[in-house]
Amino acid sequence: MNARAASEAVIVDAVIGAGHDGAAELVLTLRYENGATAPVVLDADIGFSLMRVCGASSLAELAGHSWRNLLEGLEE
Amino acid sequence: MIDVLIRNGLVVDGSGQPGFLADVAVEAGRITAVGRVDGPARRTIDAKGRVVAPGFIDPHTHFDVQLLWDGGARPSISHGVTSIVPGNCSLSLAPLRAADREAVVGMFQQIEEMPPEAFTTAFDWTWEDFAGYRAAIERNLAINVAPLVGHSVIRQWVMGADAQARAATADEIAAMQALLRECLQAGAIGLSTSFVDVDARGRPVPSRFAQFAELDALCAVLGEFGRMLQIVPEFYDTDITIARIDQLAELSLRHDIPTTFSPVFDSAATPDNAPRALARVEEQFARGARVWPQMQTRPIDISFSLLRPSLFFARLPNWIRVLRKPLAERIAALSDPETADKLVADTGPDGGERLMGGLIIRGGDAAPAELAGKTLSEVAAARGEAPARALITLSLEHGLDVAMLAASRGHDDTGRIGPMLAHPLVHIGAGDAGAHLASFATYGDTGYLFSEFVRKAGALSLEQAVRKITADTADIWGIKDRGRLQPGMAADIVVFDPQTIARGEERPVFDMPGDGMRYVRDSIGVDTVLVNGEVAWADGAYTDAKSGVVLA
Repeated sequence: MNARAASEAVIVDAVIGAGHDGAAELVLTLRYENGATAPVVLDADIGFSLMRVCGASSLAELAGHSWRNLLEGLEE
Repeated sequence: MIDVLIRNGLVVDGSGQPGFLADVAVEAGRITAVGRVDGPARRTIDAKGRVVAPGFIDPHTHFDVQLLWDGGARPSISHGVTSIVPGNCSLSLAPLRAADREAVVGMFQQIEEMPPEAFTTAFDWTWEDFAGYRAAIERNLAINVAPLVGHSVIRQWVMGADAQARAATADEIAAMQALLRECLQAGAIGLSTSFVDVDARGRPVPSRFAQFAELDALCAVLGEFGRMLQIVPEFYDTDITIARIDQLAELSLRHDIPTTFSPVFDSAATPDNAPRALARVEEQFARGARVWPQMQTRPIDISFSLLRPSLFFARLPNWIRVLRKPLAERIAALSDPETADKLVADTGPDGGERLMGGLIIRGGDAAPAELAGKTLSEVAAARGEAPARALITLSLEHGLDVAMLAASRGHDDTGRIGPMLAHPLVHIGAGDAGAHLASFATYGDTGYLFSEFVRKAGALSLEQAVRKITADTADIWGIKDRGRLQPGMAADIVVFDPQTIARGEERPVFDMPGDGMRYVRDSIGVDTVLVNGEVAWADGAYTDAKSGVVLA
């Protein structure tokens, strides 16, 4: 594991939630290097972008991926 | 002579005290007596077996446009709502220069999903300033209106296109202060702002470009009038929401103003969100700040069709691959028998019965009207197909324009939400009535409060529930002479059956300008509604009464 990876938040769970506007949203749980966890809610467009960047075809395949992947994917 | 005498009802007066049997007399738009009343009356309403309560107040609506052709904000009155607060989330229709109308209309359309005809054919733009807008709606009001002025439109007025580009200068902030002061003097009940909303092009609305100094300066003006600041925080992130609560507390204390934020959602996916936000609210109230979290009563539904990729399918890899394709390729893939077989197989050996059978066909789109309200399981059985197959074939038959509803997928745990709604610092609201027209019905939340949280769960007593949406709301917003059934108060009154009051099933109607569609819910168990002493709803129908006023 390199230094960058060690300092990154990692996706540990992903579920579908209901958004304020009636659309399905992706609720990720991130685990940070200090062990803390926190949710992040993404709308459909960004959620699908995340799945594409992670090469995931289902929610289960998101677990273990770096949160940085999303940020880099959005910059493309 | 008494104008209206409501006899023999259980008076639940908004104070939270136990209901009591009494008559209520109304004269000249005011309540004149509550108790045993004798004497002739022009109209007598027998309320035996019914509750007689103050009219409900809805503190979070987006009826700004609808009020211009429908002064009753239908169907709100039918649900017992007699006063509404439009202008939330940084957007109002005034002050607004003619040159800026197109830009602001785009923002409204993004939030309200209202057809373009609503802005081009349904009314004449007769105003630019706030007083002009007030005059435009006052001509036709059947419901009382306490309008907020939107931070985004104030910014747009002062800064023009730069409102969505940069921070304001000191001179511009001073101009915004003067404009806000003018709006408050013309009847605005406060200022709304947003940290999340976007316009029709996906750009942040103008209020999101404001620095804290700008908001602070505007709150100083609110402090001159003791008026409300309403905000939409970054509700999808608990930590940022808590930071906003702290920011609101500082503004409340510094300028001696009430503040409110919405929405606050509870869900299994983010179970700490609402409890953490409410804990911070308690801490800030203990310091003397007024930071009212608004929580809606109704669950959140997920709505989707195969026209757009939805995360509803995120557990189904083959569906995701197909739905990501451009529309023409997607239709071709769904039409391919081999691909369709794979999709159906993806949903399990029961053909999607467990995953999809409970989906509801919403109607109002290209689907046959007779299917509206039926479950996919019912429709599939009638077609002799598995539910997943029926979803594909039915969608293909109608250009994929078949909306489905996955009901109660968030904010739906009554056992958790009931105690939060009963919390003395939780402000029941955030219903968004008049918005999201083509996505889901935003009406009937008060009926749902009684059916779900009073009768079914017992989380609130009848008296608590009434107080929450009447006197408490009036007090929080500084709405004088409303919210209580007492002599001298305005005669906003609802008579309802406590055993049946509820919201009806969601259904599509085409009553927007240009035959535009929206989803609504009818009221159940609401017998009679008086607005300023005149009967506005009775026996299941609206009257011609136009007795609403602007609550300045």
